[in-house]
Amino acid sequence: MMARKVGVVAAGHAKFGKRLDATMRELSAEAYKPIYDAGITQDMIDATVLSYAASQFTGQGAGSALIADYLGLHDKPHLRVESACTTGTASLRAAWGMVSAGLYDTMLVLGVEQMNRVSSAKATEYMSQAGDMRWEYPYGISFPAFYALMASRYMAEYDLPHEVLSKISVKSHHYGAQNPYAHLPRTVTVEEAHNSVPITRPLNLYDCSLISDGAAAVIIAAEEKAKELTDEPMWIKGIGAGASSMMIQDRDSLTSIPGAKTAAKAAYEMAGVGPEDIDMAQVHDCFTIAELIAYEDLGFAEPGEGRELIENKEVYHDGAIPVNCDGGLKSKGHPLGATGVSMVYEIYSQMRGEAKEPSRQIDDVQIGLAHNVGQSGQFVNIFILERGW
Amino acid sequence: MAATDEVYLGYTTDEATTPFFREFLDALAEETLMKSVCTECGREYLPPREYCQDDLSKCELKEFKEREAKLYSYTIVDFAPETLSSKAPYVVGIGEFPSGLRLTAHITNLMSVPEVGMDMKLAFDEVDERLVTYKWLV
Repeated sequence: MMARKVGVVAAGHAKFGKRLDATMRELSAEAYKPIYDAGITQDMIDATVLSYAASQFTGQGAGSALIADYLGLHDKPHLRVESACTTGTASLRAAWGMVSAGLYDTMLVLGVEQMNRVSSAKATEYMSQAGDMRWEYPYGISFPAFYALMASRYMAEYDLPHEVLSKISVKSHHYGAQNPYAHLPRTVTVEEAHNSVPITRPLNLYDCSLISDGAAAVIIAAEEKAKELTDEPMWIKGIGAGASSMMIQDRDSLTSIPGAKTAAKAAYEMAGVGPEDIDMAQVHDCFTIAELIAYEDLGFAEPGEGRELIENKEVYHDGAIPVNCDGGLKSKGHPLGATGVSMVYEIYSQMRGEAKEPSRQIDDVQIGLAHNVGQSGQFVNIFILERGW
Repeated sequence: MAATDEVYLGYTTDEATTPFFREFLDALAEETLMKSVCTECGREYLPPREYCQDDLSKCELKEFKEREAKLYSYTIVDFAPETLSSKAPYVVGIGEFPSGLRLTAHITNLMSVPEVGMDMKLAFDEVDERLVTYKWLV
């Protein structure tokens, strides 16, 4: 049987932030509510993927049951898919497979995370456990430290000054300040970003994404059902996935993420497009160096030349390839399980002209790309999404 | 001095409980660093692993004698995971030996910001009476 065409037909988003007013139950409901209000009620959903990345944060195991129950989806088959920071897009990939294969017509994909019930040091500890527990974790290599190892190598190989990374942070905060869902919606200057407190040198506070709480949700449907549900479907045109070695020391290069290059190649081939066809991209900027490397892994720039995109402002909303014009993980926030779904939400909103602030609305988005990286590249999912109207 | 099967660099991890890893730690206690070599294809691993990645054959531990390396990459961890908070700031370096094998460890005697490509030497460090680990010196 031919795979069925699948589209996103609705999306919802919870406010990202330090949400001590909510747990993952309420955050999930907050993300689903706009979808419900748009007319897609529980009885119209065949099955769900309801995921969060790290059980340690809440102690909740097998939480898709809890979320399904809380959302009134008691009799719908549910599933949790976990792959660190790519949990959201891994959930979408799993759901896409089920819908395209004909198992279900309509599915809810919801990603959520509640990270702020523990201290920042404890959250850092939990995320460090995504490293090799025998050979990396004992040396205190935190999640930021993995990317700092990439940054110091990249800066040495390409003679990159830190200020270039700070300019990426400035862009992220420029757009996050205009996004009502953003965790830290305020602008920063290059000087502030460059001189902020060190976290894992050469990365400092403004090079690092936020420990956030939040949720995001999308409804996907097979082509015929999608056309029944909306006049404005966003088709899933290409999907690519990739992986990189567990220990970061074992990679041939630290100036790119091998799994991202693999995933990009697969996604472009499936979609029948190239980097030059992408109108906007949501990239996994868990750290500023990650965004710079993403420019190159996705083919928007040659190796070592990604800096030109930020220095020439080509990655701003009116540039050649707008990137993270919602604030990205840096300013919008990074609730692990929600992040990938939030990327897809942003592309859907931009295609519909719903970015709200004209100063961040990208003109005429036909094709968008979501690039979601887990751990330090051990998981990568890339989606290419096409406007269907 | 016997290596513990529960504690490694101040961290508790179930990873430290296999006979293979205990043999590695016992050698470290004698200030001997072990690599592993696949008994079928001869592929070498540092740090060692019990099964070969290529053919899943058993590997055996053999002494690794190289000591000089170049700094491939580094980070200075100012904000540490909770368990190591009291030790911050500390420096993590990936060293590359002339053979091409790499090893990740703390750099413990830096007086200034490290530089990629700098010379380093592998050394041993008695963490406590139960444990010796390896580290980089510049």
